[in-house]
Amino acid sequence: MVQFYLDAERLPAFVAHLMAQKTVIAPHAKGQKSFTFETVAEPDQVVLDYPRVMQSIRKFFLPPKEELLTFDLTENSYETTEVEPIDAIFLGVHSYDVAAVGRLDYNFSVGSPEKNYLTRRQGAVFVGVSFVPDSYHFSGSVNIRPEDPTGCDIFLTKLFEGYVLEVHTPTGEELIKGFDMPAHDAGRPATGHFQQHIYVPQTRLSEIMEQSYDNDVWAETAEQCVGCGTCNLVCPTCYCFNVDEAVDVTVTKGHRERHWDGCMLRKFSEVAGGEVFRESLAGRQRHRIFRKFKYISDTTGQPWCVGCGRCTAACPAHISIVGIVNRLISDHAQAVVAPI
Amino acid sequence: MNLNEFLPTIEPENLYAPVMAEITEIKRLTSMEVFYRIELPDGAELGHQPGQFVEVSIFGVGEAPFSISSSPTHKGSFELGVRKAGMLTDVMTRLQPGTKLGIRGPFGTGVDVEKFKGKDVLIVAGGIGLVPMRSMINYVLDRREDFGRLIICYGSRSEQDLLFTDEIAKWEADPKVEFHVTVDQGGEGWKGNVGVITTLVPGLDLDLTNTACCVCGPPIMYRFVLMALKSKGLSDESIYMSLERRMKCGVGKCGHCQINSSYVCQDGPVYHYPDLKNLQEAL
Repeated sequence: MVQFYLDAERLPAFVAHLMAQKTVIAPHAKGQKSFTFETVAEPDQVVLDYPRVMQSIRKFFLPPKEELLTFDLTENSYETTEVEPIDAIFLGVHSYDVAAVGRLDYNFSVGSPEKNYLTRRQGAVFVGVSFVPDSYHFSGSVNIRPEDPTGCDIFLTKLFEGYVLEVHTPTGEELIKGFDMPAHDAGRPATGHFQQHIYVPQTRLSEIMEQSYDNDVWAETAEQCVGCGTCNLVCPTCYCFNVDEAVDVTVTKGHRERHWDGCMLRKFSEVAGGEVFRESLAGRQRHRIFRKFKYISDTTGQPWCVGCGRCTAACPAHISIVGIVNRLISDHAQAVVAPI
Repeated sequence: MNLNEFLPTIEPENLYAPVMAEITEIKRLTSMEVFYRIELPDGAELGHQPGQFVEVSIFGVGEAPFSISSSPTHKGSFELGVRKAGMLTDVMTRLQPGTKLGIRGPFGTGVDVEKFKGKDVLIVAGGIGLVPMRSMINYVLDRREDFGRLIICYGSRSEQDLLFTDEIAKWEADPKVEFHVTVDQGGEGWKGNVGVITTLVPGLDLDLTNTACCVCGPPIMYRFVLMALKSKGLSDESIYMSLERRMKCGVGKCGHCQINSSYVCQDGPVYHYPDLKNLQEAL
């Protein structure tokens, strides 16, 4: 592993070096306390010390709204909308968000591979950066450390006023060519401790969920939940979508578009005629949590929650995903002990 | 290793591009249901199994899943039976023959006809559940020698709501079909059974060791039909059920049709009942 030291003062120069090669998409400050991934225009606007961005980089590969085809109503004909690869350097991505892209890759590759997503994904280069866990992060509980470089071409680990820069792939080697940095051979530090933990190894979560189908926590959580779907909206591994028609003002042309949808919304499971197959908020909460810790995990062996903490941080009712999971663990432990 | 190395190397097809297919026949079945015969371009066959579905779309209106009502033994076109229940179906009822619709599919897992071969076939259809079951019924009738008895139980709200009445008349007249029908509310002139569909089951004379059953109807029906079939002595292994959910994309991506971990558009809509026992949200 080749290591260099990138002084924070030289970060804009490094960003400019990357921009000379490809489009760079990186975190920017937004408002007073928020951060968002945007295409870099000014190298000195890039922020690498941030707790989490509002939306993960999912938004580039699976846009909130996207045109699937355009139609002509007078001709009753259509053309599919072709998409282009994003083909950019994603700079300053946290390990859990890189992991989340891997989860989405699975969902859009398995069974029938999906053209739009997989085309957009082409050419993406990942330059990860370590983070300091705040009171919402718990990715350590799903085996994603703050300084985990998995999936990245280059990884930056914060050390003093700068970063230990590690090159992990030939693509990464190409990227830094011609950018002068001192070599670093003192290893890299762990960048912080998690304040939130799930209290069993992730490999046991599916089994605990299995026993928790009728747990009281679903109904209790539903008492607080307002069913707004914000948890779905901010989740980096949520990928469910709906498709709608949009007709322009001339009523001769229009397009079919898909947009993000969420299983916490009542209408999500509604069919024509009005039947709603997941009517109770308790059932919808359970479905959300089982989607993250059981259903897909039973096939892949990995939790589909990456521990970013966004759903908890954004919930208007302060529902904590870690709180729910730990409650299930504690009830499960008591249930196991009880018969003795 | 870069994440991209795990991506598939094949060039994926566009899953959401419909084929434009022509409606060649429209027939009103009841005040709420309409029959459509549809032909794919260049005489292409749909190539479906009984119990599968297609996504039908009209530009500017929307796209929704519909069960295929014709048997795959019937070549050259396929048929749908559509209830007016939303925006798309409302527009569909006002179309004329010659109009082209967007079709994607067939999708899902239909009836595994191999599992029914050599057996007595029991069909339990409630209301619009007859639409998909008609595909299986006509399949059995066209391959009569491959199957044992054909027993059909059909329940409808009233006499006016009965679907495919001309075909029902044929089934009633066919000595090789045991057709039983009941209506929830019998009106004047109705001389047949009155009562919900489960009232037909106790009177059936079944060979319990050699019967395979397929059930389709409104959501409320399944639990009660299941109880009736089980108290009749049918084993769980002999029961198949076709379930309705919101199969929006048809290709296991959009998430709407999930029953617990199962995508109805992939694993269903026709499930073997033993597989449904682990899916608490199913029935």
